[in-house]
Amino acid sequence: MLRYSLRRLIIGVGMLVALSMLIFMLLRLTPGDPIDAYIDPNLPMSPSDLADLRRNLGLDQPLPVQYLAWLQQALTGNLGYSIKRLDQPVLGLVLSRIGPTVLLMGTALAFAIVIGIACGVIGAVRRNSLADLSLSVVALAGISSPAFLSALIGLYIFSVRLHWMPSGGMLTPGEEFSVGDLLHHLILPASLLSVAQGALIMRYMRASLLEVLNQDYVRTARAKGVLEFWVIAKHALRNALLPIVTLIGSTIGLAIGGAIFIESVFNWPGMGLLLVDAVQTRDYPVIMGATLVIGTCVIVVNLLTDITYAVVDPRIKVG
Amino acid sequence: MKRLSRLSTIALGVLLSTAAVPALVVSGAAAQAATLSGGFDVGPGGFQGNFNPLAATAGFTWLSIYYEPLITYDQKLQKVVGALASSYEVSPDQMNYTFKLADAKWHDGKPFTGKDAKFTIGLAMDAKTGSVLAARLKGISSVETPDDHTVVIKLSAPSSSFLDTMTKVMMLPEHALASIPADQLAKSTWWSATPIGTGPFKFTKYVSDQYVELAANADYRGGKPALERIINRHFANPAAAIAALRSGEIQFTYVDSNDVPTFKDNKDFKVIEGNSFVVNYLGFNHDSPIWKDVRVRQAVMYAINRDAIIQSLYGGAAKPANCAYVAEQLIPQGIDTYAYDPEKAKKLLKDAGWDQINGGKPITLLTYYTTPLATNVLAAVQAMLAQVGINIVPRAVDAPTYNSIVLNATPDIAQFQMVYAGLQNGPDAGSINVGLNEKQIPPAGPNVARVRMPDLTKALDSALAEPDSAKRDAAYQDVCKVMNTNLPWATLWVANRYGIVSTKAKDFVWTPAPGGGPYQAAPQKWSIAE
Repeated sequence: MLRYSLRRLIIGVGMLVALSMLIFMLLRLTPGDPIDAYIDPNLPMSPSDLADLRRNLGLDQPLPVQYLAWLQQALTGNLGYSIKRLDQPVLGLVLSRIGPTVLLMGTALAFAIVIGIACGVIGAVRRNSLADLSLSVVALAGISSPAFLSALIGLYIFSVRLHWMPSGGMLTPGEEFSVGDLLHHLILPASLLSVAQGALIMRYMRASLLEVLNQDYVRTARAKGVLEFWVIAKHALRNALLPIVTLIGSTIGLAIGGAIFIESVFNWPGMGLLLVDAVQTRDYPVIMGATLVIGTCVIVVNLLTDITYAVVDPRIKVG
Repeated sequence: MKRLSRLSTIALGVLLSTAAVPALVVSGAAAQAATLSGGFDVGPGGFQGNFNPLAATAGFTWLSIYYEPLITYDQKLQKVVGALASSYEVSPDQMNYTFKLADAKWHDGKPFTGKDAKFTIGLAMDAKTGSVLAARLKGISSVETPDDHTVVIKLSAPSSSFLDTMTKVMMLPEHALASIPADQLAKSTWWSATPIGTGPFKFTKYVSDQYVELAANADYRGGKPALERIINRHFANPAAAIAALRSGEIQFTYVDSNDVPTFKDNKDFKVIEGNSFVVNYLGFNHDSPIWKDVRVRQAVMYAINRDAIIQSLYGGAAKPANCAYVAEQLIPQGIDTYAYDPEKAKKLLKDAGWDQINGGKPITLLTYYTTPLATNVLAAVQAMLAQVGINIVPRAVDAPTYNSIVLNATPDIAQFQMVYAGLQNGPDAGSINVGLNEKQIPPAGPNVARVRMPDLTKALDSALAEPDSAKRDAAYQDVCKVMNTNLPWATLWVANRYGIVSTKAKDFVWTPAPGGGPYQAAPQKWSIAE
């Protein structure tokens, strides 16, 4: 078990280094550098100003030198300074964004799990009923609508039209912090983010429960005269949930993709917004830092899922 | 099976309760009294996330609420007037500038003196501080402070653009910044944590990527501000800002011209309209042999129905441009208006032998404009040019990519035989020089069309060196004439720019200035109805 985990851990670290190299190379293959992003073509700047800036930022060095310098610093925990905002160290910037993203994704995940499992159970138990049919249609729409679309529709209905929800941000500007205010800002983006994941969980839950309901032991339980409620709640549900746990782990990546859209639409100050902003302004140090942190999260989640799986099912270790 | 419905009920209950939470936490989104919130850094005049005026290429609308330059533009961007300098004098040879300083205090209560002004100019001239003004201030030979309230700046050569540059130099406190080494200044957290200026509002709080909050400076020399707070919300895009404006969370933002019609008849909002000062043009790459013949360039002008595009795509919110300028005093009488005439265009192309020069071969037109409006404009231009036999293929890229292609010292002509671009032509008319002067061809400057026209360079040089302002207008008229005849660019139009402000805001001043200004916005007078 320990050897298995260690091996997975070493592979994870190797993947991170490879990821950093890949991102660095890909970024530099695109034409232009951060200095080019500094220039508004409508308001030209003098070339000697730009040359000075480029030199100050070390962008005049050859690429391998720049990468090694970055790696050397990164190993000591220093991810450099943002180019767009020189007064912000990348590490601090990235760390300050993890909280909001985890909060948003955690809430969305909780919504997705609760709604997905509840609807999946209804669908399976009331198979082919009107409720099942309508939930299936809703789930299909949920799975197939991209995050940015549902975000814009949600924003329009609940914020612009109904004025129920703020149109963006995490807290009301200028007001003291309060949990209510935070929740008020959190609910709309979190529910919209949970749509696709919730729909997916629902579909899997329904299929998984239907399968379990046909098993012999369920029939046995029913034959013994156990109340139908307990048949489902105690016998069927527990077994049907197992594949769902795996599914949730593997959809974290999906949620991160959705979070990037949701965060930019709702101005949620998380990793996604930071990354989008950094890409637009070619802020290399921030792109590298944010990607590495997101990459680390995905690798860690996968590692944990694998280890949990290995604990649950000892046969995994063989593979 | 009865029991099953119990399970469904529980599940449904969970569902409903999640859906009902929003209704429970609804609270008033209305702005508090005496606080004005806006998207001050939305759109082309903004520079969101930048707090350092030395590094600012835009965003002056916001920075000038808490910092002040010595001089600034008036509200209409026509005259340079005093700000922290109560008055200024320019010597007849345009070499000496004397500024008399107003009695002002920093936000921490210390007096503002000539030493601060000298210190700030020193920082702005030093490239190590990350100053984007360093090259433009190179002409300064000395800065003297004969007394606490006088600053004298001497230049090594006359420059008609010097005052324009000085409007962008925001004064900084020596007592707070002198201890930071020049090369560390840009990385200091002072800018976004504890900055102090002399303006009507004080910096109080910055919540990363969310908003900046300023509080009234009760000791402001221009009187106590009417508002208690001003909040600058940060938005990832203009659409998000518009959503916040419509839901009543903010009272002001910049908008694209396509969004204007939805606000025009709404009594809750006022539309502020103004000149963008950016001339849009099709720049011929003069390194490409296909544009050598002036008849070909004239044909492009005649082939494009600019009035139709302005009416149908800009909704009338643009003015045709027949040279780089829009200000009336810079445009001479009797220049060619190149009215739409496709037959004439065809004839000119035939005379020039376009079939031999290029014929129907595709011509790459590079642009950094990626808005839906620009896409429609280029589709129309493409169709109009196709009618006379010029086959252009637009290629829209992001601004960094565009810059890296066109500013390259040895560019690939095939990548941009033509550009669709814009260049600021005011309030300092000299700003257009960098796009047209032969001495500004990359890497020396941003003359991306590689215009090599001795007449034009001569006209620009003499206008820039003209010390007398009345004569300078005449000199710029000469530039306009040469441009109109030689057509280094096919000049198209100057579009309007728009801001939307809630009718609750009173005495609110916003001018669609290039880079956001600065100009006399008088934020101390802004107020808001409850």
